[in-house]
Amino acid sequence: MKINQSIVYLTGGSIISLLLGIIVTIILPAQDPAVLGPSPLARPYTAQELLGREIYKREGCHYCHTQQVRAPEADRGMVHQKGDIGPESVPGDYYYQSPVFWGTNRQGPDLAHMASREGIGSNADWHRLHFNNPRAVASGSIMPSFDYLTPEEMEALIAYMLTLK
Amino acid sequence: MLTLSAEPGSASRRFFYSAIFWLIVPGIIGLTLATFLYVPSVYDSLPLTLKPYLSFGRIRPAHVNLMIFGWLSQAYAGGILFILPRITRARLFSERLAHANWWLWNLMIAGAAITLPLGLTQGREYAEMIWPLDLLLIVNWVLLAINIWGTFARREEPKVYVSLWNFMAATIIFAGVYAVGNKIWDPSGAYTGMNDNIVNYFYVHNLFNSWFTTAGLGLAFYLLPKLTDKPLYSHRLALWGLWSVWTGQHHQLYSPAPDWLEYLTIVFSILAAVPTIAFMVNFFMTMRGRWGRAAEDVALRFLVTGALFWAFTCVQGVAQSFRTFSMYVHFTNWVIGHSHLAFVADYSFWAFSLIYLMIPVLVRRPMYSRKLMEWHYWLTTVGMTIFMVSLWIGGLIQGQNWLTYSTPFIETVKSMQPYFALRLVGGLMAGVGVLCMAYNVWQTARQPAPAPALSPAAAASGGGGE
Repeated sequence: MKINQSIVYLTGGSIISLLLGIIVTIILPAQDPAVLGPSPLARPYTAQELLGREIYKREGCHYCHTQQVRAPEADRGMVHQKGDIGPESVPGDYYYQSPVFWGTNRQGPDLAHMASREGIGSNADWHRLHFNNPRAVASGSIMPSFDYLTPEEMEALIAYMLTLK
Repeated sequence: MLTLSAEPGSASRRFFYSAIFWLIVPGIIGLTLATFLYVPSVYDSLPLTLKPYLSFGRIRPAHVNLMIFGWLSQAYAGGILFILPRITRARLFSERLAHANWWLWNLMIAGAAITLPLGLTQGREYAEMIWPLDLLLIVNWVLLAINIWGTFARREEPKVYVSLWNFMAATIIFAGVYAVGNKIWDPSGAYTGMNDNIVNYFYVHNLFNSWFTTAGLGLAFYLLPKLTDKPLYSHRLALWGLWSVWTGQHHQLYSPAPDWLEYLTIVFSILAAVPTIAFMVNFFMTMRGRWGRAAEDVALRFLVTGALFWAFTCVQGVAQSFRTFSMYVHFTNWVIGHSHLAFVADYSFWAFSLIYLMIPVLVRRPMYSRKLMEWHYWLTTVGMTIFMVSLWIGGLIQGQNWLTYSTPFIETVKSMQPYFALRLVGGLMAGVGVLCMAYNVWQTARQPAPAPALSPAAAASGGGGE
């Protein structure tokens, strides 16, 4: 019957297109040599840094901060100073991360290489002050304050920030 | 109240009611988010005990997930359950199953509404719900699919209307997309490294493509002839989902993902213009000679406005799939404007059309107030237009400033203030519009003494598919 034929085409077509989509756009990229090893910037996380990543995820930092520098803006983009956005992100940078925090929106600056930013990035005291009251150190900032974190959570989050080299 | 009624249409009605409830809740969250962006000190002044649960990064996923799975998906389910018996001329496969589906669906959404502000999240866009809720979602889609396929199997109508194909395909593909995208076999829900992001955006794109668009076109193909009293211009199957499964990576152009993958998705994104044009031709040809009706009929007007916004979404979508344009607007507020264009101004507008066509049939009374329907339409349309246009303009300014490579980032944040203010105003207008609809539906449903049966004339203008 014609309709039964159509139903086979519909079901088969749906499943095949889904499977092809999965094979070509998910499984094949996962075989790319570029993702099979860590980049020089990547290193395994300590327990405290992993806790910090959990806080970063729990508080949804990635909704306003990306962690990916695109080719055209690499080493040119400006956060505080020209070029301090840092080098282009490569797959190996994310080797030890699950989930990744690439993000889609920059209400705040990109953080891929935030710990390398002169003067503040690697300064734990600056981070503590900034998390507790962003507008005290960055006038015009729209970031929420994270003064409700426990001291342990705060230190873990800062430890994670310092890994973003 | 744990009833699994067998009364025809009762499950559809419940889905519409809970959809409206879950539109208001995340709507309020959205306005809160817009307020925090415009005046951050509002959040600072909250008591410390409340702050964790209202933190921007926790309630943003609540806003998004409740809108997606609580509001729009439930409105779709209500519409699908309403349409199924009418295009098959058979009883729904199981009304009781549909009620069980409704309970489980709302359990899932209530779970999301509680867990997300508590900070229980998988941390991946649109995939934040924790593992037990992921499993519940798959169960819900399977139950809905059983009703769709089961009703198809017992159809009395020999011809299968195009909408039915769309519903059948959408439920199969989306369950698969969700399972893969959320790594359903792993409680962490996340892959590792670059692949995690690739799978995430495969899922994000196909949530829209395989569910909201494929099922949504099915709904539109039912609404259009119904509201124009005219057969659909062309019954050719419009399952454009079949090649857009490939385009997820266009959400991350110039990203660390392989270049070949980006080029591939760009090609397929451009190809997606073909089915878009096919739908628009079908739409315009069916509307011919019926445009005047949109002035009188608010349900048709929502459908038409949604279809025009949909065409615009697709134009933006293809444009954003080019690397140069993406480089300009990606990461800016433009993207937020685009996502609200797709979600609110097209698919939600179609859902409003469903509500105004179907609620009067389901409760056997005409809508309580025509005036409130007009208020809803104009407040929502004008409000969303202000919302989106301000974010697009703001996004273009932001993108331009970033590309100078010589403006401190904080200056580009400060420059967003007027656009955030306009967005808040537009959002408030749309919110008041939605409240007009909710009040109107409530008053319609609670009116005493329903007429024993619809008059033939009323049935023809708003009734079933016979």
